[in-house]
Parts: sequence; C-alpha cells; structure tokens
Amino acid sequence: MRTTGPTENNEGINKGVKEGVSDPRLRWYPLSWRARYGEELKTLLDDEYGGHLPTLVRLSLVRSGLRQRARQSGLTGDAAPATDRARAGALVVLAAWSAFVIAGASFAKFSEHFDEALPHRTSAHRVPDLAITVLQTVAGVAGIFVVAGALLAVPAFARFLRAGGWASVRGHFLRAVACTGITAAATGLLVVWAHHLGPHQSGGGLHWYGAIFLIWAALIAITLTLWTAVAVVTASRVKLPIAVLAAEAALTAAVAVAMVIMLGATAVWWGVMAKDAPTFLMASPGGAPGSPWDIWLVSTVILMAVAMGTAAAGVVREVRVWKQVRAA
Amino acid sequence: MQIRRSDLGDRATSAHRRRSNDPPILILVSLAGGPKQGQALLKDIAEFAGVKLGPGALYGAITRLEEHGLIEPLESDDRRRPYQITAPGSQALADYVAQMRELVEVGQARLKVVRTPPAGLA
Repeated sequence: MRTTGPTENNEGINKGVKEGVSDPRLRWYPLSWRARYGEELKTLLDDEYGGHLPTLVRLSLVRSGLRQRARQSGLTGDAAPATDRARAGALVVLAAWSAFVIAGASFAKFSEHFDEALPHRTSAHRVPDLAITVLQTVAGVAGIFVVAGALLAVPAFARFLRAGGWASVRGHFLRAVACTGITAAATGLLVVWAHHLGPHQSGGGLHWYGAIFLIWAALIAITLTLWTAVAVVTASRVKLPIAVLAAEAALTAAVAVAMVIMLGATAVWWGVMAKDAPTFLMASPGGAPGSPWDIWLVSTVILMAVAMGTAAAGVVREVRVWKQVRAA
Repeated sequence: MQIRRSDLGDRATSAHRRRSNDPPILILVSLAGGPKQGQALLKDIAEFAGVKLGPGALYGAITRLEEHGLIEPLESDDRRRPYQITAPGSQALADYVAQMRELVEVGQARLKVVRTPPAGLA
C-alpha cells in the first residue's frame, strides 16, 4: 500500500478538507491541524455519534483542541521548534505580568491612605512605607523591562506587517481598540462624576458610585487582557532573531523575579498592617470583624501568587529549551 | 535503531507509559495487528483492552505518533484514512513490551515470595 505524509496531505484543499476545517465541532483545534486531520475526525464523529454529540465528547474535543493549540504554539510538549517553545515561555510571562498588573492596581486601591490608620510613632510607619516603596519601585522597573521587551520586537513586527501579517491580527487589534475607547469614555464620565462627590461618598459612602467603580475596574481589566491577547497573538506569529529571543528571555526572567519581590513586599505590608493597624483591614468593604483576612486583599494576593507561579513556569520553559535554541 | 522514550509521546514518562490505557501504546498495539482507520481503531482497542477512547484522545495520540514517525497514513480515496505502524513504531512497541515483560517477571517473582510464608511462620 502506498503511504502519504502530512505535508503531501496539506496540499490542495478539497471539499472534504474544507468541511473538516469549517466544522464547528472542531473549532477548538488549530487551523493547520484541522486542515490535516479535520476531515478524518469529522467523519469519525459522524460515524460514531451521527448528528448528536454527547456532552462528554464535546468537552473531550474542547480539551483535546486546546491541548493541540498549546502544543502547536510551543506552550507544552516538544513538537514545536525550540525557538517557538522559548517564545511561548516568554509570552506566558507577559500574560502573567498583565494579571499581576491587575492585582497590583487592586492592591493600590485597597491600600490607599493606609498611613492614616497606623499609630503616629515614626517606627510604626517604617516597614509598611518601605514595603510600599519597594513594591512601587520594582513595579516601575519591571514595567520598563516589559516595554523594553516590546521595543526589541518592533523590527520583527515591522517585517511581519510588511509581509502582510496585518490581516491575521486585525480582529484582535480592533476589539482591543474598541474596548479602549469604551474604557476611556467611562473613565472620563467617572472622573467628572467623582469631581462632584465628597470624600465620604467617593470613599464607599455612595453605593452607586461603588458599583460603577467596580464596572469601570472590570473594563480596565478587560482592556488590559485584550491588549495582552493582541501582543500574544502578534508575537506568536512574528519570527524573532535568536539574539532578540535571548534578550526577551533575560527580560522575562527579570520580570518574574520582580513579581516575587512584589509579592513578598505585599505580604510584609499585610503582616505589619494586621499587627499595627488591624482596623484598617477590618474596616474595608470586604473586611471581616476581628480578622485581617479581608476578602478583597485575599483575592488580590491570590491573583498575584497565581500570576507569579505562572511566570515562573514560563521562565522554566524558556530555560529548559534554551540549549536547543542555541543549537538551532 | 535506538528509540528515545519521548518518541512515544510528549507525556510519555515511564510511569505514564505503564498505564494500561495510554492511547499511544494502545494505538501501536492495535496497528501492530494491521492497518486501521479511526473507527476500527476505537473498536479494536475497546475489544482487546476494554478501554473506550474518545475521538479527541484518539486523534491527539495519532497526531503525536505521526509526528514522531511511529505510524503513517495510507493513501485512501475514502475520508476514513487508515494508518499503519512504521518500522520505528514496531521497534518502540517491542521495547515497551520488553520493559513490561521485565516488570511482570519482577512482579511475579516478588509475589511468589510474598505468597510463600517463611518457614516457621506457617
């Protein structure tokens, strides 16, 4: 019997292949995978289940499709080229950084005016002030690293656009721009409204303002997430030279270390506040009487920790494949 | 030909491969009996191993095995494309079976020790 390889199969998209590519049941799989296996899997699903696909099988297809996407992008497994795997590790750190920024903004809002709750003696302010200073400084430095990483990719991005890559990222970009516009308008309206409110009303006294503020915060988080998606989708299509990839790996490792320091500083601040100014934690909207475990702060720190862990996983991925990248 | 352990799939650690429902192994065993297409593979695996693989798991494993050159598709006019095991695939399966045999022998030997109580305790 004659055999045929994967490359040969990708040539000439016939009717069956088109059906496999466009079958909504397989939409979780990457396009190139569907072009190769979609027709076969579609036929198998039709043969096994007819028109009705059980929920468990649907979930299994979602899981397998996402797993295939992760493998193909270099996020897991060893199927993708070493450079793609290293780049995927860097993008994991970028996504983790975005989540950390959201958590950081939440912490910044939570810790507003914490100084006023501390005892008046100078020594009581020293450690929490230092923790906040460390947190802000390291956040600034890490932000510079992230911007530097983006700037390093600009020449490759320009080449990508010249080669006609715009069409493949246009949808993501337009969604992010639209969301940014909505967020900017909401910010303007919120600022105007807040200008007419007293300190008590804007500090939680007016429930409507609190609710609108939460919606605005969610909009900020969604906007940041959409721009991160633009960066990830674009970067996964851009071919970065090895030297740039090495620089990106070093920068992402530094960003991951920065997250560890910031989480440590947050923990120190929390510990000192729980000891010296427990009323500050209990009096917040999410606070519990007699407990420093404020739900807002707990959620924020959990998000920070998850982001830090994710970033660490990304760095580990980069380090593991780096030998192969150099060999390539 | 020396077959790397990773040839059996990305998550093919020794412990993972020892699981009797490891899809890549089940597919290799099934194809060792002759070329088959997807539905025939599912049926055969259910018969000889009692494992009901899902379509997603089946094609995930087929993808990895084909990438590692352990199986290959056969040309077909039908949409149900059959696959056959390759020479490296046969070798990988033979290595795996040999490892399993060693494990079975050690297990059997130790079970005999356990089941035969030491003199004096009987």
